[in-house]
Amino acid sequence: MLLILDIMTTAAILFVVAIGLLAIFGVLKIINFAHGAWLTIGAYCAVVTAQLGFNPWLALPLAFLVGGALGGLAELFIIRPLYRRPLDAILATWGLGIVIGQLITLGFGRDVQFTPNLLSGTVTVLGTDYSAYRLVALAAALVIGVAFAATMEGTRLGLSARAVIMNETLARGLGIDTARVRLITFMIGAGLAALAGVLLTPLTSVDPTMGVGWLIGAFMLVMVANGSLLALAIACLLFGAAQVLISTFVSPILGSIAIAILAALVLRVSPKGFARA
Amino acid sequence: MTEAARRLEPGMGGELELRDVVSGYGAISVVKGVSLHVGPGEIVALLGKNGMGKTTTLKTILGMIGLRGGAISVDSVSVVGLAPSKLAALGVGYAPQEQPLFQDMSIRDNLRLAIASDRQLPAALESVFGYFPFLKDRLAQHAGTLSGGEQKMLILARALMLRPRLLLIDEITEGLQPSVIDKIASVLLNERKKSGVTILLVEQNLDFALKVADRWAVLKLGQIDDEGPAEPNERERVLRHLSV
Amino acid sequence: MRNDAPALATAAPGRWRLSSAAPILVAALAAAALWVAPSVLDPFATNVLTRSMIYAVLAVTVDLLWGFMGALTFGQAAFFGIGAYAAAMLLGQYGGAPQWMAAALGLAVAVPAALGLAVGWLSFYHRSTALYASVVSLVVPIVVVQLIYSGGEWTGSSSGLVGFDVLPFEIEGYFRLAAIVMVAVTLAAWVFARSDAGRALVAVRDNDARCAYLGLDPKRLQVVMTTVLAGVAGLAGFVFANASGVVAPENAGFLFGTELVIWVALGGRGTLLGPVLGTIGIDYLGANLSGDLPFLWQLLLGATFVAVIILLPGGLAEIAKRAFAVLPSKGAEETAPRLVARPPKPIQVASEHPLLTVSGLAKSYGSLKVLENIDLAIRPGELVSLVGPNGAGKTTLMRCLSDGTEPISGAITVDGAPIAGLAPDRIVALGVGRKFQVASVFESLTVAECLLLARASQDGLSLVGQAGTLSLPQAALDVMRMTGLDRLLGTSVRLLSHGQKQALELSMVVALEPRIILLDEPTAGLTKAERTTIGTVLKTLTSDLGIAAVLVEHDLDFVREISSRIVVLHQGRLVLDGTVDEVVGSELVKTIYSGGGHD
Repeated sequence: MLLILDIMTTAAILFVVAIGLLAIFGVLKIINFAHGAWLTIGAYCAVVTAQLGFNPWLALPLAFLVGGALGGLAELFIIRPLYRRPLDAILATWGLGIVIGQLITLGFGRDVQFTPNLLSGTVTVLGTDYSAYRLVALAAALVIGVAFAATMEGTRLGLSARAVIMNETLARGLGIDTARVRLITFMIGAGLAALAGVLLTPLTSVDPTMGVGWLIGAFMLVMVANGSLLALAIACLLFGAAQVLISTFVSPILGSIAIAILAALVLRVSPKGFARA
Repeated sequence: MTEAARRLEPGMGGELELRDVVSGYGAISVVKGVSLHVGPGEIVALLGKNGMGKTTTLKTILGMIGLRGGAISVDSVSVVGLAPSKLAALGVGYAPQEQPLFQDMSIRDNLRLAIASDRQLPAALESVFGYFPFLKDRLAQHAGTLSGGEQKMLILARALMLRPRLLLIDEITEGLQPSVIDKIASVLLNERKKSGVTILLVEQNLDFALKVADRWAVLKLGQIDDEGPAEPNERERVLRHLSV
Repeated sequence: MRNDAPALATAAPGRWRLSSAAPILVAALAAAALWVAPSVLDPFATNVLTRSMIYAVLAVTVDLLWGFMGALTFGQAAFFGIGAYAAAMLLGQYGGAPQWMAAALGLAVAVPAALGLAVGWLSFYHRSTALYASVVSLVVPIVVVQLIYSGGEWTGSSSGLVGFDVLPFEIEGYFRLAAIVMVAVTLAAWVFARSDAGRALVAVRDNDARCAYLGLDPKRLQVVMTTVLAGVAGLAGFVFANASGVVAPENAGFLFGTELVIWVALGGRGTLLGPVLGTIGIDYLGANLSGDLPFLWQLLLGATFVAVIILLPGGLAEIAKRAFAVLPSKGAEETAPRLVARPPKPIQVASEHPLLTVSGLAKSYGSLKVLENIDLAIRPGELVSLVGPNGAGKTTLMRCLSDGTEPISGAITVDGAPIAGLAPDRIVALGVGRKFQVASVFESLTVAECLLLARASQDGLSLVGQAGTLSLPQAALDVMRMTGLDRLLGTSVRLLSHGQKQALELSMVVALEPRIILLDEPTAGLTKAERTTIGTVLKTLTSDLGIAAVLVEHDLDFVREISSRIVVLHQGRLVLDGTVDEVVGSELVKTIYSGGGHD
């Protein structure tokens, strides 16, 4: 039972961390290597919220807004000139990540920051004591996933975004303002990344480089998901399970690289990953 | 619909004017100085063999390919430099030829994409159901599951969704059965009668073009090679431009 | 026509001139300067620059892979780390006796090279993407670092290894060792990059499909490069382990891999010297500044990096180039090789035995049937035009004829040999040349270099030098002379007109000495005069040399003039196959082109 809960919550955390990257990759076909920096921005929003003495949950909307606003600036000034050079966009966003990391260091110092727990203690699930917060993370993943899917399926913006994902030329020809769709998508993706940063604070130490460790895993999952939300959920469950099982029964070190290796192998066999496999 | 109702707003009839238009891809100019006038409510067929610049001409009008020379105006307003989204807002509808549908989207979503706001959706849907009743019961179905002919009708229905004043249609008859081609011809003629829409029709199907259009023009190597009225006795003359 | 003398060459026979000697001269000067440098540098600078020069070796490998070959890689750090660890582990175990030192060197090169081979095989395969190679190059350092962490005493886990025996040098000695290795690697890379084989790297980056259709195997070249440069990175790791006396997991890490990329990008990818100087400059500057302003330095570096990627993709080397461009430079023509004709292959006699047969060919994309039940036989000397309205399946048919990995049903044979499952380069080897609709050439190369690559599958390429002569079949020379390309040998392809590019591609295909040429709309976008020239060329190739040609064409006047046979496709089926007169007079064809012809 503990194992199942571990798998479920690990998958949920991976999903929360990766979904912002997925949104951007799906619509813009750009890999945002500053994703880790946005996770960090979100975590520092939690730090600021705590310093100001507000309710720690308030960090969630704050991070979404701050992350989205900064994402808008990044799209306008850094991403937009590089749409035709996707590999260069990886590099430029990586450089942007360095800049953000250093700015945070200048502002807050390089030391680990402590944030108040959003929720502490354990609850008993079917006879097993389990961290309450990890269950919250599971719920958060479900809420974010459903909200995201509802946006994509139910709103005008989601419709336009899906059209751009499937066939950007046609979308343009039908009169969709694709530049605007890209901008808003990037803002939402960046906002989701910052949101994920807040949700990570009880699980990981907060310092200026905390995002980098999560970036690669998220990147691999998004590559395998190939822009599809459902495929991302499947990838998170399968790879999360592999990570937990290998860590538990073989070695934690192997577990930590399971996602990267599995993703590389899956992509070698099927370049589209889990999307329509 | 009376003759008076046809021209609801005089001077807003989708008149299209191309003057010495040059455009192309990369180092290549495909359209090399095309001048063409389509009057309000007129249907003109742009004919010609493959690679002669017909589709490029349409995409240039839509702003999907940059104009390298010349001028384009709709209802005497220059549309040069306008993004495709602005053209749609001006009432220019487009039925593309290559990858014309979102195959993995529902029919309903494909139709929705043609209009800017969901508030117009019910009325717009009703108007295209009048032409293509089969769409009504199959709105939730993916576009990719339709037959070839049904897909073509969906493409046309989508272009009609925004009640265009100018309609640009790219080889809508390609690979279709004669019965479907007849259906499409009657829809176009009906819509023109009803709304006074102006239509530029890129075609390879000569018989269809002569049936629907008022005038024809043949594009050869990026220039208008020949033009004339769309009358049955013009068939031989046009065919010489198109066949082996 | 074919008895004419080959087009005159503009280059002198002797090609040993200053420009060829320049790399060696520069290398000798650099080596001499670096040899005496430690006597004037303070120990801090000596130490830092030793490290910087070792990193510069890595920058050279990253530049060859990314700047020249187009594969953005973060993996060189891993190979470097493995080389360093292999040396440190062996020296720590057995001590620094000469034979163990030699073994350490061997191991430090061999292990990364072996891993590089595996990584290359994983990264580059038929239809692999550039992004996938980058993904793999990200995974490798992450995996390597975790393995180092889990190595316990063997690898020193997170604290790394210290105290192993090293080469018995003073710091000046290490500086000179690093300098020699750096100069040697840079010189080798420079000579290679300027050689004909080095141009093939650029060709792969520009257009790997064209490489395959010239009978070359671009993927194998990429795998070989990955392997060799992994070995070079391992060598740098060996020097590093000796010079620093300590190896740590971060030497193999992904972050170090990204730093290498940043240095190369700032220095100027694809210029070799730019990355070398960029690496040394930035690493040295960083070592001096990061003590006082650690965060500001990183901030500045990151911001500069972003700005350079967006505004100056050629890096700082681009500024230098622009500055030099102001100076008068020698004409590019000067470096072009001399054209010579090669002895002709025996002319194919026109025979009834078909060169190319297609039987029962069908192809569909999902439920969409693109081709159905196509039967076709092409004999030597025939010029067959494929015509039909849009969507008839003409281009698809051409693709099926030239790429055996396309899933089809039915059979296609070339000279009796089935092509099923063969990649394009193998089909080229059977004697099939393909010209694409949009001229498929190498934009970054010169006309002569493109043609040299067209001959590479048969004549090979020099790894160190540039060929002084360009030996082409007479037919290719004829095409070039008729189109004026023979006077443009040293011209960059980028500067050619659309028509000249089409002619160049045709020359390249003819230079393969194919028995069958497939041409997809060779006259698209050409002027009237250019079309006439291409038509004459094709007639000569088929009637005089017995080459078979299959042509997709929409210009029906052109088709009427040159074809010996016309095949009409309609809605994926072959509806008519006959002489020009038969097809032109056919009522069926008229019906098809006027929009009818449906079942």
